[in-house]
Amino acid sequence: MSSPRPTVAAAAPLERPANRQKSVERGRKPKRLTPGRIGLYAFIAVAAAFFLLPAVIMIFTSLKSMDEIRDGSIFALPQHLDFSAWIAAWSTACTGLSCDGIRVGFWNSIKILVPSVVLSIAAGSILGYALSFWRVRGANVLFAILLLGAFLPYQIFIYPMVRGFSLLGIYNSLACIVTIHVIFGLPVMTLIFRNFYAGLPQELFNAARVDGGGFWRIFLYVILPMSTPILIVAAILQITGIWNDFILGLVFAGRENLPMTVQLNNVVNTTYGERTYNMNMAATILTAAVPLVVYFVSGRWFVRGIAAGAVKG
Amino acid sequence: MTTRPRRLRMATFVVLPAWALVLAAYVGTMVWTMQISFTDSKLLPVDTYVGFDQYERLFSSTRWLVSLQNVAIFGVLFIAGSLVVGFLLAVALDQHVRFENTLRTIFLYPYAMSFIVTGLIWQWLMNPGLGIQKAVQNWGWESFRFDWAVNREMAIYAVVIAGIWQASGLVMALMLAGLRGIDADLWKATRIEGIPPWRVYLFIIVPMLRPLIITAVVLLSIGVVKAFDLVVALTSGGPGIASEVPAKFIMDYLFTRQNIGLATAAATVMLITVASVLTPWLYFEYFRKARPRGAA
Amino acid sequence: MKQFAALVLAGAALSIVSIPAVAQDKPTAEVMHWWTSGGEAAAIKEFAKAYDAAGGVWKDTATALGENSRAAAINRMVGGNPPAAAQFNTGKQFDDLVAQGLVRSIDDLSKEEGWQAVMPPFLYDAASRDGKLYALPINVHGQNWMFYSKKVLSDSGVESLPTGWDALVPALEKIRAAGFIPLAQGGQPWQERLLFSAILLGKGGKDLYFKIYRDHDAEAAQSDEFRGVVEAFGALRGFVDQGSPGRNWNDATALVLQDKAGMQLMGDWAVGEFRTAGKVADKDYGCSIGLKGDTLIVGGDVFVFPKTGDEAQVKAQNLLAKTMLDPATQVKFNLAKGSMPIRNDVDTGEFNACAQKGMALLKDKDSQVPVVDIIMSASLLGALDDVLTQYWHNPSASADDVVEGFVSAFELEE
Repeated sequence: MSSPRPTVAAAAPLERPANRQKSVERGRKPKRLTPGRIGLYAFIAVAAAFFLLPAVIMIFTSLKSMDEIRDGSIFALPQHLDFSAWIAAWSTACTGLSCDGIRVGFWNSIKILVPSVVLSIAAGSILGYALSFWRVRGANVLFAILLLGAFLPYQIFIYPMVRGFSLLGIYNSLACIVTIHVIFGLPVMTLIFRNFYAGLPQELFNAARVDGGGFWRIFLYVILPMSTPILIVAAILQITGIWNDFILGLVFAGRENLPMTVQLNNVVNTTYGERTYNMNMAATILTAAVPLVVYFVSGRWFVRGIAAGAVKG
Repeated sequence: MTTRPRRLRMATFVVLPAWALVLAAYVGTMVWTMQISFTDSKLLPVDTYVGFDQYERLFSSTRWLVSLQNVAIFGVLFIAGSLVVGFLLAVALDQHVRFENTLRTIFLYPYAMSFIVTGLIWQWLMNPGLGIQKAVQNWGWESFRFDWAVNREMAIYAVVIAGIWQASGLVMALMLAGLRGIDADLWKATRIEGIPPWRVYLFIIVPMLRPLIITAVVLLSIGVVKAFDLVVALTSGGPGIASEVPAKFIMDYLFTRQNIGLATAAATVMLITVASVLTPWLYFEYFRKARPRGAA
Repeated sequence: MKQFAALVLAGAALSIVSIPAVAQDKPTAEVMHWWTSGGEAAAIKEFAKAYDAAGGVWKDTATALGENSRAAAINRMVGGNPPAAAQFNTGKQFDDLVAQGLVRSIDDLSKEEGWQAVMPPFLYDAASRDGKLYALPINVHGQNWMFYSKKVLSDSGVESLPTGWDALVPALEKIRAAGFIPLAQGGQPWQERLLFSAILLGKGGKDLYFKIYRDHDAEAAQSDEFRGVVEAFGALRGFVDQGSPGRNWNDATALVLQDKAGMQLMGDWAVGEFRTAGKVADKDYGCSIGLKGDTLIVGGDVFVFPKTGDEAQVKAQNLLAKTMLDPATQVKFNLAKGSMPIRNDVDTGEFNACAQKGMALLKDKDSQVPVVDIIMSASLLGALDDVLTQYWHNPSASADDVVEGFVSAFELEE
């Protein structure tokens, strides 16, 4: 498996007519309906049902009135399509004094998300690259501490971080929350990039160095172009994590930058107040829309070929 | 390999800010956590030291002991379950199935949702009076029982199910990224040699995906140690304390119960446990190797 | 295009600048609280309206769940960027903040306005440290209400709610025999604690209540009386339905208001659920304080005012405190919130039948006790919750387990 092969060519631009390429790739024609295919689709159907069941109930519930929810079964179809809970969740639900729904925090979330995701992925990929291809003194210790730190609940960090950031004078600002996300993203990002690069052929790197490539040149022109699949995974991880973050945004972002999840929390969470389940469901689905769209769109990069040669025995 | 000082300097230079962050944020917080665990701090940190009092309290608490036991059960089943389900899904999607994009999103969506509400759905589903049990009984199977979430013996397994539901999509995405990176020539070669696909997957592909599997295991382990939302939304640690976990213990004492001395003691215990597992593993996995590269 | 963008930017800049310009003239108070859901938000709106009417500017920072809102508020105080006022529960929650000098005393204000004379003494004391008022109590929540479905009771042949906890058991059996859920209970530790406290007070008496909850008296915890209380609590374990563990309180209330379950012990915030469902007090559902109706367990919310060097902030805080305690505002706020006014000198005509019963008891110091959160540290309370919830959910656990658990929790706390 480890025989040298023309891997770099695979990273070249793909002008793939999708269908034709697919059938060549694995050399097996999936057209016939063999028992194996039937079993495969049966497995997928069962799995999809298991995964979708909660979503179906969420959607059903979001379309019911509160009386219907109280009286009926959770599996019952809504009596009529009533989207008022969705509209309310997005634009009129009260989250305290303001009754503008969860949309209020949408742009704040985007403002936090974009720089945090870009910076944390950049930091993780560069560090992962430095730690896997270059001999850096103390790299192992650094990596070990990072990994260990990832296991500490981040709520523990809150108090020391608040003191630290207010000392720096950027507590409660956009810069503060972005830095926080970069810090908390660093262990996992470094881990996944380091492990991914560890699987890349060393010959490539050696060849690039023989050609006189420096640290950044090799990274930008050799390593990065081969990183697409792991970049996608990193993006999925970070976008999901940062978009859904609540407590860090609440504590560090400052009043003007509160993310959408704070509004979501205000809509769905209460101890002694009434709970409007239909609106809670709608608000949750709406809040998850951004990561969901990312998942769906990311599909075009989950294509064989781009990463060919990226993983090697 | 010959060392080239100029480039080495750049790599070292790049790692410096990372060192600064790690020292200030991670090492700083760890030291702080340990220090506070020896004080009797309540809502805010104070510096009245009480020796090992907090640790004594911690280990005399039934709830903490139950939490440790639960996190072990949960950890093993959740990691194994998510890996198996995630890998199978990735393999299934790798068979040129139709609607791959949609299916992938279906398997991954639980990961995107706030567990405050999806946990409530699972609570309903596993509630005998509302959920699956009642539905199946209404279909005529009167003796059907599925009451895990309200059953003291089974509650932690209910959490495992919801956890696998939430996390295996991510494992699938990781594995799929790996599978898509495998050379087409490999498949041709194994086909010519007549090796059945399941053997190829099990004995050739899985070893090739080792770095990614390790990544997945670490990600899932972090999820286990930090498991909190899942339990709160699904069972709130109950019935009784049957499904309590350490992260919830820490969070309860950190916020609601306002005893950060005890909370940091619990966090320190978890940290030491993780370190004692992580260090030997890291050593054998990465550091022992003479090569500058990590796992290969 | 560029010009347009510049225009938009300029407009945005202007609007940012213009807010502080207004704010400088008027006292501006940022208020942090966790009242985000329907009735709660309506209540806080009454405060905001009154504050605006009094010439102030109310900046609202709402975050659902007490622990979240408090975490944000505490960290902002620690980080040197405090709000003008932050909501807390009455009790020990802000002890450390006072000790570290982060909270301002409002004792002078209280003396000036004569608040002490009109407030329930337990709540006033709970908001004071070293005899000085450090937090502003704004409402009273009764926390030992038994709500019951009149229809379920009469259909089961239970003429009226029994007045003692031992007499309750046969009544619950009748309800079960008639095919209803006898006791609607949310299976979360705090709800179990509510029920236990009501029994401790109702069956054990006020003395025992204080000995256990305030004095952490190990001897009292080993007494036969206390054991009897625990057994009475344990006797109720069999009367909940199978779906009870983990259930939210409002779902339990729904069982009562749909006439599926007989009764639920809950705080007076449950009245809101009955009201939204169109049920009328004393007609569709009954409400009783404890079972006897003689002693109310009182709790409530307070606002603390973080210390700030800023003279304008102090002014804004003073105006805020006075506005919140204004008698007319008190009535409006508490009607919306479903709680009772903190002052006993306001017009109570508009409150419903249940609240009337509560307010009658509030007039007498002897017919009320503080809720356990007020007199016990959160940490010990949590340890007791763990003991109670294990007992409640394990049918084979005995009263001795609870006694032992209480005694060892008391010892560890010292």
